[in-house]
Amino acid sequence: MTLPQLVALFAVALVLLIAGFTALTSYNAVVALRQRIDKAWANVDVALKQRHDQLPNLVAAVRGAMTFEQDVLSEVTRVRAAYAPTAPIHDQAVISDLTSSAIRSLFAVVENYPDLKSLANVADLQNEIERLENMIADRRELHNDQVYRYNTRIGQVPGVLLAPVFGWRMREFFAAEPAESADPDTSLRPT
Amino acid sequence: MPDATSAAPRPRKLGHRTGYILLLGDTRGLCRLSDPSGRRPRSRARSRTIWEVDPTISLGMTLLAGGGVIVGLGLLARGLLTNRSTIRVGDTSTSTISSMAAGEVRVSGIIEPAELTLVSLLQSVACVYYRATVGRSDDTSAIDTGIEEERSIGFQVRDATGRIRVFPRGARFDAPIRFSEHGGVLRAGITGLTIRTGPATRTAELDREAAIAELLHVRDPRAEDGPVGLGDDQSRRSYREARLEIGDAVTIVGRAIPYSDLNDPVASDYGSEIDLLESDPEVAADLAEARASGTLAGDPATAWGNAAIPGFGIGRPASTPEIDPDASRLPLATDAQAARAAQTFMIDPEALVLVSSAEAPLLIAYGTPGVVMARSESSYAMGLFGAVLAITSAMALAFMINEGFIDGTSLFGGIGP
Repeated sequence: MTLPQLVALFAVALVLLIAGFTALTSYNAVVALRQRIDKAWANVDVALKQRHDQLPNLVAAVRGAMTFEQDVLSEVTRVRAAYAPTAPIHDQAVISDLTSSAIRSLFAVVENYPDLKSLANVADLQNEIERLENMIADRRELHNDQVYRYNTRIGQVPGVLLAPVFGWRMREFFAAEPAESADPDTSLRPT
Repeated sequence: MPDATSAAPRPRKLGHRTGYILLLGDTRGLCRLSDPSGRRPRSRARSRTIWEVDPTISLGMTLLAGGGVIVGLGLLARGLLTNRSTIRVGDTSTSTISSMAAGEVRVSGIIEPAELTLVSLLQSVACVYYRATVGRSDDTSAIDTGIEEERSIGFQVRDATGRIRVFPRGARFDAPIRFSEHGGVLRAGITGLTIRTGPATRTAELDREAAIAELLHVRDPRAEDGPVGLGDDQSRRSYREARLEIGDAVTIVGRAIPYSDLNDPVASDYGSEIDLLESDPEVAADLAEARASGTLAGDPATAWGNAAIPGFGIGRPASTPEIDPDASRLPLATDAQAARAAQTFMIDPEALVLVSSAEAPLLIAYGTPGVVMARSESSYAMGLFGAVLAITSAMALAFMINEGFIDGTSLFGGIGP
């Protein structure tokens, strides 16, 4: 082998090394991202389940005092019953948003009952559910950020070249369309 | 008087082939042998010129090209290795501390001290990590070969939602260089160099009395030699210190686990190993015999006195120590101070802490995630540049061998044109 051939071989080897390394790290990065998305979703699911379990306690604690606000309680009960952990992510996002909206309405109504608000168990339940609401919001944000990074990575070179080979597809965000989870109309317009 | 031009080596005609050369560096010793006919060569294939080069220039160019290959490959390796951490930092989303779940996480926040802080070696600054390097002296007669010290200590990171404890054992640090000075010709004192003279750690929160005592403590500059080998001949060395200080913004990627899952506290929990030992009848008998003979003290207080009182070593004893009447007494902690100390020292077993693990090694980098990413990406770009440099240098080296500037036979054992 002549020296120029040796140098050419060296150059080609370096280029192949960089290309191979890039492909390998991209593959590993995408696999790690998929795991992170699954983990982030599992963490969201845990928080949703905890909220689901806490809601009956809150409803039971305030039901006796809120004799004139049964529709608010019914709404909370209804959206809680719609919780389905095996449903597609989009459907769960819609139910989650509706549940959060119903809980906000319930908390707003509880403000009108000072005696109820002063009860220790109600305050504790309220604090716990608020904590879970914040946790769901944070973990949802984390999940969506991971999905964004994953979708971006498999949409860019070299991920876009590897995606058809390994069957990578875009993941779904944990988000509902604005119209699907719109807050209840609280305006003073005549209906 | 001899003619200067006649003293210079005269170009020798070695052949009728013409080549082309990349001019690298000093070309004063490089001569192109002209074709006696004065015609330009038509092509490389038809005629070539053999170059005659001053041997020292030839050696310099060879070393330059060889060095280019080595440096280029080094940059490439560094860039590729950095790329791994770039991907890891870039692909992990930032978790808020209050809603963090166990597992691999990325946290971004401000460094806050835990119980203790480090005192940096070269500037005596309170910090949680430092890497101090004292370089080799310019004076070849110096026997010092350089000192490097790297230390870190547990700390907390705070974001807008809360705090989390970081155990940095096994972590990889990316810290900025805060101090870099070289000794001058005049051997004057180096500005900013305040070599640590006391202990390497101190309590994170000085109380009023301790702060006053620290201020009133008069130091003899002649005695401030610091650790062995650092204080003398300061001007003949180079000093460099990278640090992570209290209040710095950091980005951390690592594993969050419940504090109770951490092995170290269990292993270092004083007394637990004695209980385990005493469950073995044979060992228990040996211990009893040692106690009876006075070789082993019956309890820690007997063995170590005041040092056995929790908090004594950091000036916050949990119970009143027995002190010489002439000694100044430290005040006991107030309820508020005790509560704050408990919050600092007593970590909830279920609280998440950040640690390093085999599958998720801890990376502690200075700056926000965006800054860390930018730094890593520039390092990767340097790696790609290194690849280009290595290829170019290899081509230049091959060209020189091919054109007979250097003896390829001696370099590569027969590989040549």
